[in-house]
Amino acid sequence: MLRGLYTAAAGMVAQQRVHDTVTTNIANLNTTGYKQSNALNRSFPDMLLSMTGKNDEPSRRIGRLSTGVLAEESIALQVQGDLNKTDRASDFAIASNIEVPGTVFDASGKSVAQDGTVTYRPQAYFTVQDADGQTRYTRGGQFHLAADGSLLTADGSAVLGKNNRPVTFPAGTSMDSLKLNGAYDFTDADGAATGRSLLVTRVDRVQDLVREGDGKFRLDGQGGAAPATAADGVEVRQGYTERSNVDATQAMVDMMGALRAYEANQKVVQYYDKSLEKAVNEVGKV
Amino acid sequence: MNGSIINASVTMNALQQRLDLLAENIANVNTAGYKRKQGTFEDLLTNAKQQPEAFRKDGRIGPMGYNQGWGARFLQLGPDMTQGSLKETGTATDMAIEGNALFQVAADGKTAYTRSGAFQLTVRGNGDTILATEAGYPVLGTRGGAGQPGPIVVPAGVTLQISGEGVVEGVHADGTRENLGQLSLASPARPELLTPVEDNLFVVPDGLAAGDVLTAAAAGPDSGIAVRQGYVEQSNVNVVDEMTELLNVQRAYQLSARALTSADSMLGMANNMRG
Repeated sequence: MLRGLYTAAAGMVAQQRVHDTVTTNIANLNTTGYKQSNALNRSFPDMLLSMTGKNDEPSRRIGRLSTGVLAEESIALQVQGDLNKTDRASDFAIASNIEVPGTVFDASGKSVAQDGTVTYRPQAYFTVQDADGQTRYTRGGQFHLAADGSLLTADGSAVLGKNNRPVTFPAGTSMDSLKLNGAYDFTDADGAATGRSLLVTRVDRVQDLVREGDGKFRLDGQGGAAPATAADGVEVRQGYTERSNVDATQAMVDMMGALRAYEANQKVVQYYDKSLEKAVNEVGKV
Repeated sequence: MNGSIINASVTMNALQQRLDLLAENIANVNTAGYKRKQGTFEDLLTNAKQQPEAFRKDGRIGPMGYNQGWGARFLQLGPDMTQGSLKETGTATDMAIEGNALFQVAADGKTAYTRSGAFQLTVRGNGDTILATEAGYPVLGTRGGAGQPGPIVVPAGVTLQISGEGVVEGVHADGTRENLGQLSLASPARPELLTPVEDNLFVVPDGLAAGDVLTAAAAGPDSGIAVRQGYVEQSNVNVVDEMTELLNVQRAYQLSARALTSADSMLGMANNMRG
């Protein structure tokens, strides 16, 4: 059978995945705190071709051949999004600019050392508790107070304070009367402490964050997560939201690229089909 | 089914809802006491295609599994309770609130709340003239500073005078003043929980105690709340902001529609592979 037929089919499947990922990014152009995902492809493991059928000499190597491609992972681009002023007292945005001594990060939050090791810029996240009581991280800071006084995210997850417990305000407290100071503590309008705070978590290995939907990320194991402080270069701004960091132009280009690459693979399948047609119907025809 | 198609269609739905909300805001740009409605987007549940440990190869960046999102959904947030500008009308029954408070009105046996102070005098079934909203809901107040809030009854032949503290007085032709009651005001502590209903009213949804959502407010210098007679509060919708957002949403919709077309041509190619 012709090997390339399956290679091209694998290419179509992989490009479909790239297209799906780009569509998700486009879908979330206006999602607060959304982080763009990038689909990464990898070629199938190489195989070594050798010539056979000649008994008088050891097999002769022809070379390496990869027989396809697969969508290996989709990585969230954990870089700062633009801040948007909303003036809602219950909107919070993280402006995170964490420096790592001796490391210079590029615009995509990545640094490649001389030996090829890649480090990503650590980021800070609001810490929330989902419906199952699990700790999750999010950049979506559009909170609101529920009837019982607990501070919730837009999808209803409880926001955690520095004591690792859900933040709850007494009855009658309005978000308008609360101010968040530089240490992420809530004060009342006169600057008096309320004893409530926001737990902002610094995640050092951002590539380990797994997207869960609803703007939340999961960190498997607690590796690299620690409470952030203002000294880290993490600022929480009240009355702002963080816009999605999806680049619409890039998304459009990626989408067109994926479509055309899919088309190219489809054409290759058709060419193989033509070759097969010849082999089946015309070779040996008398 | 093609993930891109699901993604795009789900998102276009969400964007349509956002567009509807923008249209509602723009439609109410001249509605007295209207409070802008707000919303936000959230990415939808992500599923992870599991990958066996053998997939782990050098150069892999993240944990195992391939994550795929399914578009965005629209979530409505609470109304934006910021102050609208006050417009002088000179009409004695027009009132506007400065500060964070709402008028209380009786709507079908329940208490409803509104910022719209374009009131009128209307005649009740029993012949009393009462203060009511434009749609005819009685405005609530307390008489003698205590008791259950009830409608404010206005005797014949008086001119209304409302103080900054919300005290309604009737001035008779001979200059004598009669206290008709104190307007009941409530401060929304958790405006997100107020449900906007028709006729520019807000209600506390069933199952929630009014005290958890609103607190009784007294107008005065201490609370920063004042009632202004002869003024109506304009809608707090800013047309420029809404139009900017409209452009944004429209382009996002267009881009999603492009993604849908693109996904459709991919399916077409798969179908036509055989020629």
